[in-house]
Amino acid sequence: MKRLFRQRRDISLLPNYILLIILILFALGPVVVVGFNSVKDAASIGRNPLGPPTEFKWQNFPQAWEIGNFSTTTRNSLILVVGTVTSVLALGGMAAYALARLKLPGGGLLMLYLLVGSSLPVQLFLVPLFFLWRHLGLVNNLFGLIIIYVAVHSPFAIFLLRSYLVGIPPDFEDAARVDGANEWQVFTVIILPLSWPAFLTVGLVVGLGVWNEFLLATVFLTEQHLFTVVTSYYNFTSRFSRDWSLTSAAAVMMIAPILILFLTLQRRFIAGLTQGGLKG
Amino acid sequence: MANSDQAAMPTPSAPLSRQDGRSPWKRRYRKYVVPWMFALPILLINIIVVIGPSLSAVYYSLTDWSGIGAGEFIGLENYRKILFSDMDYRRAFLNNLAWLAFFLTVPFAVSLFAASMLARIRRGSMFFRTALFIPYVLPAVITASIWRNLLSPTLGIGALLADWGISGLDVAWLGRPQTALISIAFVDNWHFWGFLMVLFLSAMQGIPPELYEAARIDGASRWQEFRHITVPGIRPTIVFMLLMVAIWSFLVFDYVWILTQGGPAGSSEVLGTLVYKQAFMRFEAGYASAIGLTMSLLAGMVISLFLYLRRRGWEI
Amino acid sequence: MRNATGKSLFLLVILSLVLAACAPAAAPALAGEAGAAEPIKLTHWIGVGTGGSEQAECTIANVVEPYNEMTEGVTVETVLQPNVWEAMRTAVAGGGGPDIVTTPGPSFVFEMAKSGQLLPLSDYAEQLGWADTFAPWALSLGLVEGELYSVPHELETLILYYNKTVFEENGWTPPATFDEMVALSQQIADAGIIPFAHTNGEWRAANEWFIGEFLNHVSGPDNVYLALTGQKPWTDPEFVEAIDLLTDMQLNGWFMGGLDRYYTGTDDERRVMLGDGVAAMTIEGTWALDNMSNYFGEAAGNNNEWDVIAVPSVTGEDIYDLGIGSTYSINAASPNPDAAAEFLTYYFSPESQATLLVECGVAPAPVTLTEEQLTGLDPRFAKAFAGLTQASDEGNYGYTTWTFWPPKSDVYIYEEIEKVWAGQITSEQYLQGLQDLFQEELEAGDIPPIPEREVSS
Repeated sequence: MKRLFRQRRDISLLPNYILLIILILFALGPVVVVGFNSVKDAASIGRNPLGPPTEFKWQNFPQAWEIGNFSTTTRNSLILVVGTVTSVLALGGMAAYALARLKLPGGGLLMLYLLVGSSLPVQLFLVPLFFLWRHLGLVNNLFGLIIIYVAVHSPFAIFLLRSYLVGIPPDFEDAARVDGANEWQVFTVIILPLSWPAFLTVGLVVGLGVWNEFLLATVFLTEQHLFTVVTSYYNFTSRFSRDWSLTSAAAVMMIAPILILFLTLQRRFIAGLTQGGLKG
Repeated sequence: MANSDQAAMPTPSAPLSRQDGRSPWKRRYRKYVVPWMFALPILLINIIVVIGPSLSAVYYSLTDWSGIGAGEFIGLENYRKILFSDMDYRRAFLNNLAWLAFFLTVPFAVSLFAASMLARIRRGSMFFRTALFIPYVLPAVITASIWRNLLSPTLGIGALLADWGISGLDVAWLGRPQTALISIAFVDNWHFWGFLMVLFLSAMQGIPPELYEAARIDGASRWQEFRHITVPGIRPTIVFMLLMVAIWSFLVFDYVWILTQGGPAGSSEVLGTLVYKQAFMRFEAGYASAIGLTMSLLAGMVISLFLYLRRRGWEI
Repeated sequence: MRNATGKSLFLLVILSLVLAACAPAAAPALAGEAGAAEPIKLTHWIGVGTGGSEQAECTIANVVEPYNEMTEGVTVETVLQPNVWEAMRTAVAGGGGPDIVTTPGPSFVFEMAKSGQLLPLSDYAEQLGWADTFAPWALSLGLVEGELYSVPHELETLILYYNKTVFEENGWTPPATFDEMVALSQQIADAGIIPFAHTNGEWRAANEWFIGEFLNHVSGPDNVYLALTGQKPWTDPEFVEAIDLLTDMQLNGWFMGGLDRYYTGTDDERRVMLGDGVAAMTIEGTWALDNMSNYFGEAAGNNNEWDVIAVPSVTGEDIYDLGIGSTYSINAASPNPDAAAEFLTYYFSPESQATLLVECGVAPAPVTLTEEQLTGLDPRFAKAFAGLTQASDEGNYGYTTWTFWPPKSDVYIYEEIEKVWAGQITSEQYLQGLQDLFQEELEAGDIPPIPEREVSS
């Protein structure tokens, strides 16, 4: 009986699978093209930019790794990502908790402020911010850039976390409070474990944003040993001469770490969603 | 807001807490100080980084300033120019509105559709979810250069289809004034919708499965399930993302800049590219500041609408 | 008690933030505020924009490192910057930045110099003999209100590249006059080949290459000079003629086979088309010389060859439109201006510049190079630079839009032309708009100094 039921269920889901596969071709096709181009030479890309390579130039990778100085830049980018993500999750999570759970007086104003703040184009405050940062000695300083990233990325993180926290049933917290826990304990012991899938999502989004960020990174970090992976990637794109094969190889190297991280997290992410008590 | 009004004066509940053996100070401490201690660190950082430096832009928007050195105070002249005489601004503004309309509909439709498909299946769900999210991982420069080739009339998909006998798609999508903007929006959406989908999917996991079971017993169609259970169940997420996407729509810059720089003949100009050109190419940073502030103002209007709806009792 | 721990944790977080923000404030932002005895460190940012990182690395290895070995107590620290102009602009405006300030051209120096961010260089120029090194017209482009603030680097011009093999197969000869070029284009198009591999898909300002060429080669550099110095309006018929001609050629599909293709073609695509013989010619800057061979010959999958000539003019005379690809200045905030000036003297010496050209394919500064210094150079390079140098020396040159026009007019030139091609405005209206804007900038004094020219009438 059970087997029969499963089969029927699978058949009824066939249209779902077909449509999803179409969407996947749409999403992944272009990514495959980058993979192809990463092993072609420059001239054959101009002639055949989409198709699979006829000859494999694997030396594009070590060459791109070296020219791009990826060993240094990958390390710097990882520091920026880890620093920003942990700070955003800690500080943004606290703010989200205050907004969702502690009935923060003036919370509406805080949200309005954060929304308006995130609607300002970066170019608008770039020069004054640089001026300020230079006087604080935070230019050419990974920590200084992390502070900027935290400020820029936290509004979205706060809103997203808040919307998850609002959905958690208050029973657990109330029980803890009756047991005499203070708000910090409630936050760290009760709320964090319950909502960590949400934190993971936010961490992923913020991490990606930092990993791919260009303008602030190139303006605030101008010493070679502080460059980020996007900088490495840009070493391959230039105004008049481009070598798209090397560029694609660099692109693959830039995407790979974040992709691997995402694939690893993805497992936990789903596991977290099914275990986390969010379902009921 | 209602909270803070109550809080300003002694409330009838005060004696109650004294009965609990707590001092009014302690009560107030719990009510005001503790929540703000949670919110304050991030607020301080945001003020230092974003709002503080932005205030100077308000001043510069009132000057004729090259972006370097001192500016000459000219009052509201920049704003007068924006409102009454700058045709480029007007076109960019309309393009931003078109962009807004596109992004408030297309990505939401596609991602809700895909998420509801994906929510039903178990086998391979992780693979699908991961694969559909991957475009979001790519940086804009890479995405844009892939699609520049894919949309090329001689080297792209259109040319491939023409080879197979399906003609009509081998046009220079980014090179024609009629199609440039929509093509850029298409590329940006290719990158973006997977992200929306993952958010919606996470939110859908929070809907109690009993609701679906009950609906099935009642003989509801899939569309009815979607309409009456899924959408209401994730409404806070949908509305919140509508708001964020609206704000981001006014800020759009990178895809337009990389793919067309606003061309051909200004047909894909948006406010973001206009600010960049004024500030960094024409040395009109004062005017650029004014345009930038109007972008925030427009976003501010959307936010106000959102807050208004929230006050009217929408649970957002 | 637990409560107290929570509180102190908050305080700690806030305190550490405040401390972190304040503590490093004491550290000087500009390196090397040192005494005379201590070693001097000069910072120099090289953009990886033009020519990519290979040229930049070659520059460091062949010119900068030998200098560091040669001099005692002075080290030039080079950093490859991917976003050099935005980083430079922001850093210098914020009171920081490297000792040596580079910009994308003379018109960018103007605002920086006026607001005191750059060091006046006239005294150094006199002391260190720069006037003998540089071509006079080029050095004078660095003047702002009579004072020298920058020296020019990367002398460039536009030349006509053609697919020699395709020309030979079809019995075509390189055009000697502008009219011949137009007639030949028709012939090429009739043969089913695209006359010009010209696109702006990746670099919108590529529009101005042809606009500048047409203004100088159709209307003549004398007229352009008169207009640049305000003695003649841009709306005069000879300029209208040039724009009309350009528009006709564009609408004929002679650039890439159609307007929409022109707007979307990439740099790679157009060079491959030229290499493979799908297109026959192109007009592009000398900056493309270094890269062109990648698209020809066996390695590129065709057995074609390429060559260059001066862009033909109406009179048949060789006219090279001169341009400056970048400029060098000294940061007003530099603690070691003397050392920086010494380095510039070395860097712009004919020896260093010849090394840059021969070894790295970097366009040299407008300094006089001897034939000896250029041995080993690709003959096509040599031909282009010989013509260029001669034009520069004799004063019979044309004007590129990005070097001699003020910034707003320059942006107008390449942005608004698309409206002419789209049929939204006429050539007359386009030039009228240019005239209005140009006049405004001329009156405000925002225009780079145009070197004197003897106009034959």
